[in-house]
Amino acid sequence: MNIDVGILANARNECRKLLTEQVGVLGVVISSVDGFDVASAVTRDLEPAKIAAMASSIAAIGIVVSQEASLGASKSITVNTEDGFVYITNIELAGQLCALNVIANSSAILAQIIYHSGEIKRRLEVS
Amino acid sequence: MKEYKLVFTGTTGAGKTTAINAISEVPAVKTDVANTDSTLNKEFTTVGLDFGQINLANGDRVRLFGTPGQSRFDFMWKILTKDAFGLIILIDNSRPEPLADLAVYLEGFAQELRNTPCVIGVGRTEEHHTPSLDDFSTALESKGFTLPVIPVDVRLPKDVILLIELLMAQAEADMQEEFLSQ
Ligand SMILES: Nc1nc2c(ncn2[C@@H]2O[C@H](COP(=O)(O)OP(=O)(O)O)[C@@H](O)[C@H]2O)c(=O)[nH]1
Ligand SMILES: [Mg+2]
Repeated sequence: MNIDVGILANARNECRKLLTEQVGVLGVVISSVDGFDVASAVTRDLEPAKIAAMASSIAAIGIVVSQEASLGASKSITVNTEDGFVYITNIELAGQLCALNVIANSSAILAQIIYHSGEIKRRLEVS
Repeated sequence: MKEYKLVFTGTTGAGKTTAINAISEVPAVKTDVANTDSTLNKEFTTVGLDFGQINLANGDRVRLFGTPGQSRFDFMWKILTKDAFGLIILIDNSRPEPLADLAVYLEGFAQELRNTPCVIGVGRTEEHHTPSLDDFSTALESKGFTLPVIPVDVRLPKDVILLIELLMAQAEADMQEEFLSQ
């Protein structure tokens, strides 16, 4: 994927900020629609390449499910688990559709992550 | 009525998505997205799964699943082959190393191949003669597999049906062998 280095640096910085500033966040990965890791910041156990590939599969299945049910475009997917959640939402980097993935344990608050993801989107989409 | 689940896997661009769309009797489910990998000469690529369905002449129903080709999606390979009745591996003979491509899937599906019937379809053999079908068979044998290998153009429904019929025959042969060895 061909994205300007400055935009990539901003994206990486946003990932790192969310990881360090929000309680419970274990990893933040921005991935291309076809499952490549574009920018990320993760704690040591997480593999951005793997998260990116999985995110693209989940997002693609989300899209066909919402089409099948005639519910309009898919905007985000949340996987709620016993010990936390994964939140995946669309984001555009330099006009290219990507996914922002946040992986968090149960000390993180979903609403707060949704809010901050929206802020990241707003900042990166104008840059 | 019986229901079977068949899985199409193999090299990206070999035609898994095309094959399922060529024969499905229900609108096929596609999860293709823009390809950003410049090493692949392809506009779209499958990141989730393909799904289609056909009814056989005897009333049995076959559900068709297609995997993404790239090994970064090997977690989907596992998910999609669960309880599969058979596996169809598609290879693109126009690629630099089709035999190495085949090895990727023989390895990636090693566990399934122990007890799941499998056939290999090789595409674009008319313009790309090497490796030959014999070369594929030899490569398979050297890895301990005896599997049918046929040339296919998956854009043609009859070729895709042939693959499925061959797979059914392979399954029947496997069952007979099992029976005889008891
Ligand atoms: N010329 C030619 N094109 C083929 C043949 N088989 C498949 N194709 C084309 O190759 C492409 C395969 O793409 P796709 O089905 O998305 O491959 P997948 O990655 O395996 O799902 C399609 O554009 C087909 O029309 C063949 O035998 N000859
Ligand atoms: Mg495909």
